[in-house]
Amino acid sequence: MEQTSETKLVVEMRNIKKHFGAVQALRGVDLQLAQNEVLGLVGDNAAGKSTLMKVLSGAYIPDGGDIFIEGKKVSFANPMDARRQGIEMVYQDYALANNLDVAANVFMGREVVGINLGPLGIMDYPHMEQETQNLLQRLNIQIASVRQKVERLSGGQRQAVAIARATAFDAKVIIMDEPTAALSVAAIDQVLELVKELKAQGSSIIIISHRLEDIYRVSDRMIVLRQGRKVSDTPVEGDIHEFRERVVAYMIGARDDFAEEPVAG
Amino acid sequence: MSFTDDVRKLLRENIRDYGMFIALFVIVLFFTLATDGLFISPRNLVNLVNQTGFIAVLAVGMTLVIVIRHIDLSVGFLAGFLGAIAAIALEQWGLPLVIVIPLVLGFGILAGRLTSFMVADLGIPAFVATLAGWLGYRGALQLVTRSTGTIIITDDAFNAIGNGFIPDVFQSTLILPDRHKFTLILGLIGIAIFISGEIINRSRLQKQGDEVSSTGMLILKLVLGSILIGGIAWILGGDRGLSWTAVVVLIVAISYHFMTTRTVLGRHIYAVGGNPEAAELSGISVKRVTHVVFGSMGMLSALAGILFASRLQSATTTAGTLFELDAIAAAFVGGVSAAGGVGTVIGSLVGALVMASLTNGMNLMGIDISYQYIVRAIVLAAAVIFDVTTRRTEK
Repeated sequence: MEQTSETKLVVEMRNIKKHFGAVQALRGVDLQLAQNEVLGLVGDNAAGKSTLMKVLSGAYIPDGGDIFIEGKKVSFANPMDARRQGIEMVYQDYALANNLDVAANVFMGREVVGINLGPLGIMDYPHMEQETQNLLQRLNIQIASVRQKVERLSGGQRQAVAIARATAFDAKVIIMDEPTAALSVAAIDQVLELVKELKAQGSSIIIISHRLEDIYRVSDRMIVLRQGRKVSDTPVEGDIHEFRERVVAYMIGARDDFAEEPVAG
Repeated sequence: MSFTDDVRKLLRENIRDYGMFIALFVIVLFFTLATDGLFISPRNLVNLVNQTGFIAVLAVGMTLVIVIRHIDLSVGFLAGFLGAIAAIALEQWGLPLVIVIPLVLGFGILAGRLTSFMVADLGIPAFVATLAGWLGYRGALQLVTRSTGTIIITDDAFNAIGNGFIPDVFQSTLILPDRHKFTLILGLIGIAIFISGEIINRSRLQKQGDEVSSTGMLILKLVLGSILIGGIAWILGGDRGLSWTAVVVLIVAISYHFMTTRTVLGRHIYAVGGNPEAAELSGISVKRVTHVVFGSMGMLSALAGILFASRLQSATTTAGTLFELDAIAAAFVGGVSAAGGVGTVIGSLVGALVMASLTNGMNLMGIDISYQYIVRAIVLAAAVIFDVTTRRTEK
């Protein structure tokens, strides 16, 4: 995407580096996410896409590079730091507690109390349940009751709850790590519809996926990583076959837009 | 929704919750018939409660430990050891009761924090850490009672905890002269709380447009619950009233029930039990929850030790032997899942009552102790099998 003066960047990552022992997982990656944009992040295994997102969500501390959120330089010591700055991550395996109900999961770790007594604060059930109901309604997620236990939900519903939870607290950026990996075809549709709905409501989203057709269906722009470097950063356009061929060419190293100069855009 | 549909639906959806109560009811009914009513005589019920008290208290703490996917094998001898400390503090150090009880409870919390230090901070499996505790506290108990043997406790107030009854503050020769009025009044308060709680809860669900059971069902539930609470109060009121042990167990049960169902801490405990990684990612400190749960287990072990020493009016060299396994069995009978995240304080309490009723009833019937163990084994296995199969069909 061309960076113009009227495009507001929500996230800007500059020259991010991260190594694990001798392995250079990220060799100076730049990433930009504009307001209300859906960005697809693809790459082969070990290309560095999960590492990059873990840096952004505070799970990893980078060896070098800068992160800006809405133009402000930030540094995260842990995921809670990142979350406080409005960065929410939806994990591949839902990260829900199956023994608790939908409302409890949405508010996990952020319980609303009626009477504040620290850890012994008394939870405001009606408030949390009502908020959850509103949230599900707003995102058009079909679940019979917010008091239903998560273990009784289908895979698609669980992923929807996980995503809903990420959006519940005015997130600036929602990162989804393989949101459709473990789902049936019907459930994948459900989740992709939800992503479109979120975009329609103004969210800024980064999606990691192995499924190129998912990226094609919901993303505005796509970044391809290969061996810890960005090799492509282009809008999603054209028909699906052409798109797929192009992406695969970048993924296997047949094409590389950033071979010479380190920064573009 | 019609009434019969309602009953069927209610049973199907809540069979796990009601199963235990039904089992307890069947057991009580069976022993009552088999002993010509001796089983539900006031004297025996008081006995039953006082015998179960220390296990019930341990079972409440153990519930939370198992919910967060750990186990605590050290609680039996820890209870025995701290009971002995209480006896020594009273008899040899000459400390007053009002100091001894908080002191011993404090020691219990410290002991629990020692366990959680090993489990949460050092990453030692709870089974191993608490097995070490089991050995250590057994040794400590023998050590402190070595020179004296059994320590006789002479403090009447202390001994009343395990043997005494609450005073009847409403003594009257005019109304119900043979009944313990204070116990009856407490029963009435219990019924009022139960009924208002159910009605408030139901109207809350209704307001949010959730399906609620029919009015007939609600009335049936309210009537049965009220009869149960009222019946127990009436029977106990016919004798010497509510025992102090029952009061202690009720206070522990109500406060832990409230803590687990209403507070943020309770929610966090169950979140950690359901998915520790998710809880941690949500900003819940798994370590802190572990410290709190084991700390509470230590405190309740101390309380169990006090109840037991008070009941025997002495501290013995073998106090606490196998308490931990009785508490764990009570929790599992009461519907706690070994996989973590599932189980309630009230369930474990009923589980403790079921196991104690079996022992008590079979004793009254004069059944050989060997058969008693086998019967309890079958009930434990049946309860867990029932739990596992109903959980499977639910999905």
